[in-house]
Amino acid sequence: MSTGEWGIYIVLYFWLAGVGGGAFLLALATESERLKRVGAWLAFLGVVVGALLLIVDLGHPERFWHLLVSYRPVSVMWLGSLFLFLDGIALFLLLILRSWPRLLVWAAAILTLLVIAYTGVLLMATTRPFWAASPLVPWIFLASAFATGAAILTFFGARFDRVLIVFGLLEALFVLLHLIWTYPVAERAISALLTGELAWAFWGFVLLGWLVPLLLEVGRRAPALAALLVLLGGFLLRYFVVYAGQIGYLI
Amino acid sequence: MPKANDYAILFDTSYCTGCRACQVGCKQWNDLPADPTENRGSYDSSYLSAHTWLKMGYFEGLDQKGEVYWDFVRTSCMHCSQAACVEACPTGAMNYREGGIVTVDTGWCIGCRNCVQACPYDAVHYDEKTGVVHKCTMCYDRVANGLEPACVKACPTGALRFGRYGELKAAAEERVRALKADGYAEANVYGLKEMGGTHVLYVLLRQPATYGMVLAPKTQAKKVAEGWLSAGIAAAAMGAFAWFVARREEISGGKE
Repeated sequence: MSTGEWGIYIVLYFWLAGVGGGAFLLALATESERLKRVGAWLAFLGVVVGALLLIVDLGHPERFWHLLVSYRPVSVMWLGSLFLFLDGIALFLLLILRSWPRLLVWAAAILTLLVIAYTGVLLMATTRPFWAASPLVPWIFLASAFATGAAILTFFGARFDRVLIVFGLLEALFVLLHLIWTYPVAERAISALLTGELAWAFWGFVLLGWLVPLLLEVGRRAPALAALLVLLGGFLLRYFVVYAGQIGYLI
Repeated sequence: MPKANDYAILFDTSYCTGCRACQVGCKQWNDLPADPTENRGSYDSSYLSAHTWLKMGYFEGLDQKGEVYWDFVRTSCMHCSQAACVEACPTGAMNYREGGIVTVDTGWCIGCRNCVQACPYDAVHYDEKTGVVHKCTMCYDRVANGLEPACVKACPTGALRFGRYGELKAAAEERVRALKADGYAEANVYGLKEMGGTHVLYVLLRQPATYGMVLAPKTQAKKVAEGWLSAGIAAAAMGAFAWFVARREEISGGKE
């Protein structure tokens, strides 16, 4: 019998929302109008495709509208879907407007931050020790969002060398702290990451998704390859965080 | 806190013989199919699932005096007053019903499984066939018609009792006093404080941890508040920092 664990759709959604949202927020900090529009497009695509993935993941996708007619602010799932919905509207308005009202840009930026951050709160508010025992999951996801957001903008002609290095380092620091912090209560999850069934994702992230691109970035070599690897790393990171939390419980 | 007139179940481990009649009664009344069992080196052979809403847990070992103990505990939904599943539910499908019973409206549930991840008692489970979650209903269909829940009805030793919360709480506390007088110094009532007070109360002979009971579970609202606090600080700090770092980048292509 299937246990209904949060699986690959959730992983993909976390990743897409992070990549697109991170790209949009970073692009806002630049002077380039073109880059800001690219960022808004990426965030919009992340939100729309992400929302579709979330709906497909439901046991009853045709009932997704039940979320929109309910009011359950204590439910992170409800609040997250509200942020996702509002962020989609704000980004859509940015895409169709020729000049961007200041207030709308602020609203879209804050909603985008909330969309990235709530995914961490969602995992923290569970009984899975690997997600809940440390407050760092939102920190990991946010750091990864900025690193992967910078990476994808590389393909649109921007070079965020410092962002890539700084947030790559921060992300690794948060992951390391998280593993140490949760180890006493989530030993099973962490041994799965280090030597068990999720070792491919964890070490894949550490080596291919983090160390190699970091060396390339520091050496200022092959920026496209480095960016591609950072994006891969962001995916592997979401993958192992989501699956490790459920090992011994639902998988 | 549960109201004195709420429905409640009292499980008294000191009367339980571990016969699993409650487990079978639950399956039969609720028309639940069998799940595969496995030998884990103990009588404990099943798991709670979408098809198994109640199971007996078996715990054996040596106590501090070196004497053998073999204890049984009924595990199922606790019908919490501050239920994590209800607070995690984004649609209100999981909700409190009359008398403090917690059930899921399977016609409104969207199958997001947030309640499954949130329940500290592992009492809510997802069924792929129906696309919704399932759990113990405290036999709401029986109770509403003046009957006891099936597990209570099936219990041959009086270890399970159904009634009003106020009466059963008093009975549990009285029983613990009697057990203490009989030499069970660790006897205690579980469920008075946990998750805002649970509508299923336990009389335990030993410390709750001996029976695998969850110790001092955090309420969902508290976890959510802590989560948003951490995420809020992270979003503000890292958002500002990312802006600062990105601002200082020399974006190739420059101004356009």
